[in-house]
Amino acid sequence: MAANALVVFYSRYGKTEQLALAAGVGAIQERANIRLRRLPDLTDASVIRADAAWTENLDRMRREYIAPREIDIQWAEVLILAAPQDRTAEMELFLDTLGESVRGKIGLAIGTFAAEAAKTGLIVGAVAGRPEDATAAAREAVKRAKGVGRG
Amino acid sequence: MITIRKSDERGHFNGGWIDSYQTFSFGNYSDPAHTNFRALRVMNEDRIAAGKGFGAHGHRDMEIFTYVMEGGLAHKDSTGERHVLRPNMIQAMSAGTGVIHSEFNASETEPVHLLQIWITPAMEDVPPRYQQFAYDPCEKQGRLRLLVGPDERPTEPAAFIHQDARAYACVLGAGKMLERPIARGRHAWVHCAQGNIAVNGVALKTGDGVAVSDEQALQIEGEGQGGGEFLLLDLA
Repeated sequence: MAANALVVFYSRYGKTEQLALAAGVGAIQERANIRLRRLPDLTDASVIRADAAWTENLDRMRREYIAPREIDIQWAEVLILAAPQDRTAEMELFLDTLGESVRGKIGLAIGTFAAEAAKTGLIVGAVAGRPEDATAAAREAVKRAKGVGRG
Repeated sequence: MITIRKSDERGHFNGGWIDSYQTFSFGNYSDPAHTNFRALRVMNEDRIAAGKGFGAHGHRDMEIFTYVMEGGLAHKDSTGERHVLRPNMIQAMSAGTGVIHSEFNASETEPVHLLQIWITPAMEDVPPRYQQFAYDPCEKQGRLRLLVGPDERPTEPAAFIHQDARAYACVLGAGKMLERPIARGRHAWVHCAQGNIAVNGVALKTGDGVAVSDEQALQIEGEGQGGGEFLLLDLA
């Protein structure tokens, strides 16, 4: 039975999106089913509109990804979370909404919010920085969820 | 033996932005009598509304190719490939160890009409690969134009897939006839993409398909007012 891996990320210019995709590919390599979800922006729309590169990426990402839903979180055995190193507000707000629903699930935090993620009860393993690390860490997270590679 | 798969008996899903007809079980459409034919696993006819499409999603161990009849399909994937696929182009993706991609109608005003075909690969865990290129439409007029196959050096430029299967496209004018031998032990699937054709006397309209086994040859004829456009899959 394939594990279900939910990849939730926040990205403005696409760099963290690439890390999230790399992690998603790692999960697929371990034959997980994946869903990719992007967190909505907390920044005021006028600020985003004043930034051409951000606006262009946002228009594209809004087409390619929906926001995480409650059913996605219930569905997932593995939560892969990615946020920019310098911007964790969107991810922290998301973590606040998780509550007890993720206690005991396997998590992977890509970014500087690993401690907050662990507070939700997620079992957070490695923290990855580069795309290849994200792929490898996601593979490990899925293996842990499948009960392979324990001990 | 020729077994017809009628257009209006296919699975059907209309999600507003997509109108999809499925020759074989796919997504919420599940019919144990129609899961695949040989290595041919998916034959979906999709119409996707302007600006809409499939968001980022993953594939593993599948050979996927798309045949666009009308419009353009923008493809973007985790290997960094970004392309717009249009009629008279060949495109194939080997998902192998894992690919994430998105596919959107490249137009903000016109729908895109396409066939998406999945072939079960002969081997798993191959490196992901994406291929796309254009050909001259006259190359499929009255002849079988190879789209994908397992040959690293095909007889004409074609996309490589990890399976002993070849797919060809052809446009046959009304009254035009094409003959194709079938090697012993081989099978074929003919899908009428648009118009009208007859396969060994069996009439096919848009969306119809036929499974062909234990036959020595195919005689395909363009019928109706304008003939037809079809895909032929040569399968082990």
